[in-house]
Amino acid sequence: MKKLTFQEVIEKLNKFWSARGCIIVEPLDTEVGAGTFHPATFFKSLGKEKWRAAYVQPSRRPCDGRYADNPLRLQHYYQYQVIIKPTVPDIKKIYLDSLKALGIDLKAHEVRFVEDDWESPTLGASGLGWEVWLDSLEITQFTYFQQVAGIELDLVPCEITYGLERICMFIQERFNLFDLEWHNGVTYGDIHKQHEIEYSKYNFEEASIEMYSKMFEYFEKEANRLVDSGLMYPAYSFVLKASHAFNVLDARGAISQNERPRYIARVRSLAKRCAELYLNNKLTL
Amino acid sequence: MLECQLECQLTRMIMKDFLLEINVEELPTSYVRPALDKLKNAFIERLNRERIGHGDISAFGTAGALICYVKDMSLKQEELSQEISGPPKKIAFDENGNPTPQGIGFAKNQGVDIKDLKIKQMPKGEYVFIVKKIKSRPAKEVLRNLIPEIVKSIGFPKTMKWDDSGMRFARPIESIVVLLDKENIKIKLGNVPAKVIKGTSAGAYLKKLEKACILDQDKRKTEICNMIKSIQKKLGLDEYVDKNLLEETNFLVKSPVLMIGDFDKKYLMIPRDVLAASMSKHQRIFTLSKNNKLVNKFIAVIDGKGRNIAKMKKQYANILEARLKDSLFFYNEDIKKPLSAQTLKLKDLIFQKDLGNMFEKIQRLEELSSFISERINIDAAKREDIRKAAYLCKSDLVTQMVGEFPSLQGAMGMEYALKSGEKKSVAIAIKEHYLPKGLDDSLPETIEGAILAISDRIDNIVGLLGSGIEPKGSFDPFGVRRNTQGLIQILNHKSLRLELSSLIKKAIESYKGKLKISQEELEKKVINYTKERLEFLAPDTRPIELKQAVLKSDCNDIVGVFKRVEALSEISAEKYFLKAAKVCERTSNILKGAKSANIGAVNESLLKEDLEKEVWRAYTTNSAAIKNLIKEERYKEATKAYGEAFFETLHRFFDKVLVNAEDNALRENRLAMMQAINELYTNDVADLAMLPQIVV
Repeated sequence: MKKLTFQEVIEKLNKFWSARGCIIVEPLDTEVGAGTFHPATFFKSLGKEKWRAAYVQPSRRPCDGRYADNPLRLQHYYQYQVIIKPTVPDIKKIYLDSLKALGIDLKAHEVRFVEDDWESPTLGASGLGWEVWLDSLEITQFTYFQQVAGIELDLVPCEITYGLERICMFIQERFNLFDLEWHNGVTYGDIHKQHEIEYSKYNFEEASIEMYSKMFEYFEKEANRLVDSGLMYPAYSFVLKASHAFNVLDARGAISQNERPRYIARVRSLAKRCAELYLNNKLTL
Repeated sequence: MLECQLECQLTRMIMKDFLLEINVEELPTSYVRPALDKLKNAFIERLNRERIGHGDISAFGTAGALICYVKDMSLKQEELSQEISGPPKKIAFDENGNPTPQGIGFAKNQGVDIKDLKIKQMPKGEYVFIVKKIKSRPAKEVLRNLIPEIVKSIGFPKTMKWDDSGMRFARPIESIVVLLDKENIKIKLGNVPAKVIKGTSAGAYLKKLEKACILDQDKRKTEICNMIKSIQKKLGLDEYVDKNLLEETNFLVKSPVLMIGDFDKKYLMIPRDVLAASMSKHQRIFTLSKNNKLVNKFIAVIDGKGRNIAKMKKQYANILEARLKDSLFFYNEDIKKPLSAQTLKLKDLIFQKDLGNMFEKIQRLEELSSFISERINIDAAKREDIRKAAYLCKSDLVTQMVGEFPSLQGAMGMEYALKSGEKKSVAIAIKEHYLPKGLDDSLPETIEGAILAISDRIDNIVGLLGSGIEPKGSFDPFGVRRNTQGLIQILNHKSLRLELSSLIKKAIESYKGKLKISQEELEKKVINYTKERLEFLAPDTRPIELKQAVLKSDCNDIVGVFKRVEALSEISAEKYFLKAAKVCERTSNILKGAKSANIGAVNESLLKEDLEKEVWRAYTTNSAAIKNLIKEERYKEATKAYGEAFFETLHRFFDKVLVNAEDNALRENRLAMMQAINELYTNDVADLAMLPQIVV
């Protein structure tokens, strides 16, 4: 079997999950740390409606930048996110089928489910599940959500988050992610290397602490104001902006160990307000 | 006789093997063993409760399957008869022996015939009674209710729900099998019904499971361990298997297969702790060593045969190298400068809100450790080493490596100190000052490490409690209890005779007014937590109250507390010990009941009665010797001398003399005498009045 390119992996996953009833939504256009932040997961996990969706989400973790020097770490990478609400009894088997659909031979290689109770303190979200290891490479985070925005969920969603680069590394047998073939001989490095180097420098050395500190305050204020006026989606987009500002400040080393939890708590309380507004709005619809 | 044999044979015939299998999505590895233990015990307890006979019960499994197997289970509950007594005979029957309405009513209520009423002679006369047989139900019927109850009783540190049944378990239950011999018992756990298995007995089903993998956790563990050791032997490497990783691995695989891989030699320059963390923690692979030095090889335990080992090996090695590359980068960055160059950066690192930064903390540690060194007469050269270690002990916190691997704090400090040319004793003290990290962790071995560890702990305890952070129930996020525990363990381990109260005072003083809570209150709090932890840490005594009695006395010297507990435990059944306890008890009782508030010193001129003079003579002639024995920590002899000096005299005195005399002066003088006698022992050894039922 021909080795799939990065682009083909996404196509295959879209096809696979689309055939299982998922809406394929598009990435959120705001900087986020993970696919969970997308409204298609954050809001849709709440409430009593069934929901199935899948999407690619470019994700940013400023602290993880390595100036394109590390073969495994990036400050900007791609997650493939699947959300199945409520979860179904054979979801683990379906997930393994999706790996097979990518051409991974599960007899020759070992898939391991290693306990990892995922938690996003900024979103007040938590669940039980695993890191999925393929021959000791973490390729997926698999979580049964129990809470989002601190709210106990009515229907338990299953969140499957593939690390697209990791899976491609395995499929293409290339151990440096910049060597991955995106498509037609163009590599991941061709597209992203310069971006990685510049953003690593920016996040660690250049980002203005003063500006981001002020922006955090502005975003928080704006988010609160918008929740007060009932504009849930705009409010939420400012929560995400505040969260990203916090991440940049963190990468700049501008946040002490002691301030950290306070910043996180501030974002979490904003996220909670948005979630409550979402549930209220639904009641009044 | 013949009847009994027949019955026994019949019972034997109706015993069959039973099996419960719970298939579950991969449980956290640390959950499996405790869950199996609980499953087994729950079966034993509940089958006994339900009067269902059984043979051996065992529980085994993997992260994906919990199995309980019961040999020779009776198919029926054992019968039980019970006597229920009713009204007196003369009320239930008239003179002619005919039942009265009361008699008829009792029979009716119990659902028996009048003729089944029996008469029994009781202490109060003759009474009516019946023998009620409790029906035995078939085991399968009882099991139907029992199994869900047993499964719920397993209990996990963390549980979840996954569907609308509301069922909670550590991970979703996939399927269940319940077989009593060949019969399927129909039950449901949440939404999951028991699978129907046709024509297979419990025994045959188990055999089938055992063929597919090594089901028994202990067998599997031994197998993995032996496989690793045999490879180590073959390659001429040290035979060593990491216990924790072995236990974890044991529940990551069902059919273990070993794989040996290697990585680039250049990574061996990374400190051992870093390599070990990358390998065993992040990738769950075993490190290998020769003559106690790591080699560039690893062992991975994988699951199932028929894998593409060559490719997997490459994959494992590549992932390992990607991680090690990160570590090597951090390491090379960190050693560009001496460790002491990092120390000033601690000014930017917050210790605790309201408690300043980490640089201020190490300044306090320098002060505290030199205070301790002085108190226990450490020589000048060592004192300088300790001071140096205190200055450097937190510097690794601002290195890149510890930023990436926080669990390496201390270990990296030691490594970098050595690289910077510090003395070995200084480097070791830096590492050891974090010990113990938990209850079962190792303790500092060097005096330098111990003193620094004590300083760090008392500084944490006083700082946290002093800024109002206290454990709430079992929630102790900042580790006040853990720190206190460590403090006690170190002092005892190194037999350091250090006055706790002066250490606390010094620690409070070194915070220079930063603490919110008053000195007096804070001292009391620290002492209370110390006593609480001492009660937990000191060995159990018989009676159990003996430990509390010791803790009621002076606890300023931790080592002394352990010595007293040990010494008194050994003699707690001796007659002289009981006599001493009685003396404490009687004097304590009289003092508790005393109305006078101001008990002062004994005034000999007020001693009136011969018997009280005799008691006082006993005190004056013996107290110095007893005090001396206590001071020399000869607790057995002290207890003996105390019991013998006062027991008989006091007995005669209490018989004839009224302590609570009408006359105030007289009464207070007698109470003063009682207090002197009581405190002679209870102040510094143990308040034995706390023991239950002291009988000499």
